[in-house]
Amino acid sequence: MSQRRVAITGLGLVSPYGGDLDDYFARLCAGESAVRHLLTDDLPRPLSIPFVSCPAFDPEAVLGKPLASMMDRFAQLGMAAAFAAWDNAGLPRTTDGEARTTWGCAWGTALGGTLAYEKGYRELWQKGRERLSPLAVILGMNNAANAHISIQLGLGGVSMSHTVACASSAIAIGEAFRRVRSGEATVMVTGGSDVPQAYGVARAWEALRVMAPGDAESSPRACRPFSADRRGLVLGEGGAALVLEDWAHAEARGASILGEIVGYGTSCDHSHLVRPEAAGQVRALRDTLADAGLTADDIDYINAHGTATSEGDPVEVAALKQVFGERAAQLPVSATKSMHGHLLGAAGAIEAITTVLALREQRIPPTAHLESLDPACTGVEHITHSRAQPLRAALSNSFAFGGSNAVLAFRAVPA
Amino acid sequence: MDSIGLIREFLKERLGVEPDAVTPEAVLSDQGVDSLMMLELIFEFEDRFGIKLSPDLKTPNSVGEMITLMDGLIATQKS
Repeated sequence: MSQRRVAITGLGLVSPYGGDLDDYFARLCAGESAVRHLLTDDLPRPLSIPFVSCPAFDPEAVLGKPLASMMDRFAQLGMAAAFAAWDNAGLPRTTDGEARTTWGCAWGTALGGTLAYEKGYRELWQKGRERLSPLAVILGMNNAANAHISIQLGLGGVSMSHTVACASSAIAIGEAFRRVRSGEATVMVTGGSDVPQAYGVARAWEALRVMAPGDAESSPRACRPFSADRRGLVLGEGGAALVLEDWAHAEARGASILGEIVGYGTSCDHSHLVRPEAAGQVRALRDTLADAGLTADDIDYINAHGTATSEGDPVEVAALKQVFGERAAQLPVSATKSMHGHLLGAAGAIEAITTVLALREQRIPPTAHLESLDPACTGVEHITHSRAQPLRAALSNSFAFGGSNAVLAFRAVPA
Repeated sequence: MDSIGLIREFLKERLGVEPDAVTPEAVLSDQGVDSLMMLELIFEFEDRFGIKLSPDLKTPNSVGEMITLMDGLIATQKS
């Protein structure tokens, strides 16, 4: 079967800034952080951490009461993002009898319905109840988001979830891309959603000593990738979705094509659970370029994984230097997690959207709060202030705990 | 609270159904109560009245059938 070109015809997200896609990208380019201080009322000791929330998100207003009440927050964020991407693609939510049997959904989530299960534990162990609501199962299951998306949009093809820690949604997008490119699927809704504010989850990340500290005043600047004074990552909640479509199908219905996804590579370090290794990342980067039919010289921007941990950032830069060689010094790189935080299973999706918007707007968003570059992270061109320049193709990196690496390649489409 | 009061509160809170529309003749499935919601409604009912319904209970179709079922169980409970 001949390979199809894969168009990106819809983008949607629940923005931590509360606005639409244009607003999201404009704020990133302005270097505006969405990180705030989160203080909960959890027992026995409240969470007090820098965090990225979506305070303007009103699930009942966006989804309607009946649908919202059947979902945990990770599915609500995912469904809202998918609806936004679908509307952006100009596709009707109801099918008019058209059989969407080759249309599917591939969704990323690291934590799934953890928040729903945690609520159950509170009921049982803190409130002394002996039983749980019968909805607890369907709220908590990891495939709840993709199941709801397939039901709401009438997608009769594959509906699956991918759990690969911080690379969950990059891998979901890559697997969706392959299905459209091979001709197996006509349209795929893909992306990810996560809610890491679950008490047990946030406490576990704290214990790992990789979370940046911050109070009400310092939290917006808490995440400083590649900086000499970086203190760690900042978690965030969110949902982000893309509509991938067979190019010919998109053209035939007169859809606006926002960008093109051209390559995907994935690898495993197969060496350590949390210590990343450049060799594994290099393989994923090279596989992606080969898959896309691109060379290192074709890439004009890298959206880095860049979480601002002491170990992760230098290894990623080392991998880029190996792949890009002499050109690395002129290779524009930025880590937008400095502003939108680390959305775990939704990270790859929000960064894929950011990369597609960069290609579309021909503008590179910066790494915020990068004033003093760590000598261990030198050798690429760190973009610290947004810059307009011609961009032909770009990569988005996602490197997960467990050693799973995923890289996506995108190409600009002339407007 | 009586049975119809509880059903009205549940449908308003979960599905946004206006209490005026919840009459004994109304069919539950027309108001958005599918099999999952029915389980949740029964769960809420058991919780409020402190009783346990038999697992082989015949699922009511209308609001009126639901009220009859609930009232009967509450009466049995009290006697």
